Amino acid sequence: MNTHLLKKPRSWPDRLRIALLYAIAVLFLFPFYIAIVYSLKTPVETAASPLSLPKHIAWSNYADAIAASHFFMALRNSVVATVGTVALTILVCSMGAYVIARNQNRFYSFFYYLFMSSIMLPFQVLMFPLYKTWADLHILNTLHGLVISLTGVQIGYFCFLYVGFIKTVPRELEESALLDGASKYRTFFSVIFPLLKPINATIIVLSALGAWNDFVVSMVLVQKKTASTLPLVQFQFFGEYTSEVNMAFAAIILSMIPIMVFYGFAQRYIIGGVTAGAVKG
Amino acid sequence: MKRLYKDRIVTFSFLIPALFFFSLVVIIPFFRGLNIAFTNWDGISPTYEYVGFHNLRLLFGDSDALEPLRNTLFFALFTTFFVNVFGLLLAAALNTKFKGVNLLKSFIFMPMVISLVLAAIIWRYIYSDIYPLLFHTDGGLLGNPSTVMLGIAIICVWKEVGLAMVIYYAGLQTIPKDMYESARIDGAGIVQQFRKITVPLLMPAFTYCVPLWLGTGLRQFDYPMVATKGGPGTSSETLAMYVYNYEFPYFKAGYGQMSAIVLFAFILVLTMLVTRYFRGREVEY
Repeated sequence: MNTHLLKKPRSWPDRLRIALLYAIAVLFLFPFYIAIVYSLKTPVETAASPLSLPKHIAWSNYADAIAASHFFMALRNSVVATVGTVALTILVCSMGAYVIARNQNRFYSFFYYLFMSSIMLPFQVLMFPLYKTWADLHILNTLHGLVISLTGVQIGYFCFLYVGFIKTVPRELEESALLDGASKYRTFFSVIFPLLKPINATIIVLSALGAWNDFVVSMVLVQKKTASTLPLVQFQFFGEYTSEVNMAFAAIILSMIPIMVFYGFAQRYIIGGVTAGAVKG
Repeated sequence: MKRLYKDRIVTFSFLIPALFFFSLVVIIPFFRGLNIAFTNWDGISPTYEYVGFHNLRLLFGDSDALEPLRNTLFFALFTTFFVNVFGLLLAAALNTKFKGVNLLKSFIFMPMVISLVLAAIIWRYIYSDIYPLLFHTDGGLLGNPSTVMLGIAIICVWKEVGLAMVIYYAGLQTIPKDMYESARIDGAGIVQQFRKITVPLLMPAFTYCVPLWLGTGLRQFDYPMVATKGGPGTSSETLAMYVYNYEFPYFKAGYGQMSAIVLFAFILVLTMLVTRYFRGREVEY
């Protein structure tokens, strides 16, 4: 807004504003600080001075947490569920959105609005009957059952984003490919799909974050440890081990590391992804 | 003719995978749920009876639903207001170049990428251990029935303000800079520029954000579930938890499913009204 101020030395209100912003950022980081120092202290030291930095770093909290929380099993489940959901989402949504965007007639509009209508649907409406359906299909407590449901609940929104993007992709390229005798599938996967890179990045980020952090869908469909993802394990872990706070915080930090690394590398795409569909132009 | 027909089938086949998974997860459960809502099914036994609108009458006569309703409305209004106001102010304040501006943005957005379970657990300890230390009181906000919803709503604001911030920030980039320039020449101050240019031209972002947070606030389940499990007592139970409790632990699936559908209708009507309100205030430029 006030780029003209750059040329002049900063005014006092401007300096005050920047100082205030730094203070707010510190406030936002405070819970992370608490989590980190708790994970590195002994119970005695935590009780004596919860806010201070640890005097002796208690790495054993981490070793204990890994053993007690089945950390690597949960990590593996989270990775499988997230990768599976992202791959399935990209495949089914890009294909479906492609024919919806390219065939603007009543038949395909019907499916477009059908998908769209699910965006506002709260999961509570589907929760119980989905649980029963998954029980009938014997895919409760399985990772593929979880992948299918995490994909399914987001199909509406992601198809909506894909359709919006595909409409801006010119038809000339695919038409010449079709004239050259390439099949529709070949045209899609070798001509269209590579052009969808920006929207694919958005969908990858959104569905990965959604699947990795999901709590409510997994909580309803998965009760067994063998298919429990990190958020579920954390949730149960804090019910069982609330007396061993430091170990529990070590488990928190451990399960934060993968998403923080992802955030570090893909921040631009994450922020681009969450603002996609929000702002026109 | 036959070729055209085959062509159409090939085209439709692109939609089949999405339609298959969508049917499995959304359409079939939705209609199954619609059926369950009119029964007295407990959720397990092989038989049930159709009871018409009995569940609906029970729900509207249940005074125990008032507390979750109040909690849900408080949570939705509180988080919608503060997430959007703080998000907008932060976006406007960060919309200049200074040393560290990008770092500040990524710090404020950071809580958004961690899971809600972790956020709620960390805050549980901030309330129980740190809060009494800082404010010299016994017990944090979550232990007291009259402040527990406030405590949970603050967790949500901390976690989600960064999302509102980046959306409003992206919206601010779409406003032409020369508009501010000419407003300044006409003698408009910062506050006037904000009110007369920024707010009206950001309407599309409001149309997106306000119904989004209102909708997620009204269906809120995760934050109270992880932070307090609805306690102390039932003082932080939300409507979505009310639904969950009847469908699973209380074994009243028919009644729970009817409550879910009523909750859906309630959210749909409210968010549509709010969306219409903001959309009517969008301006062309």
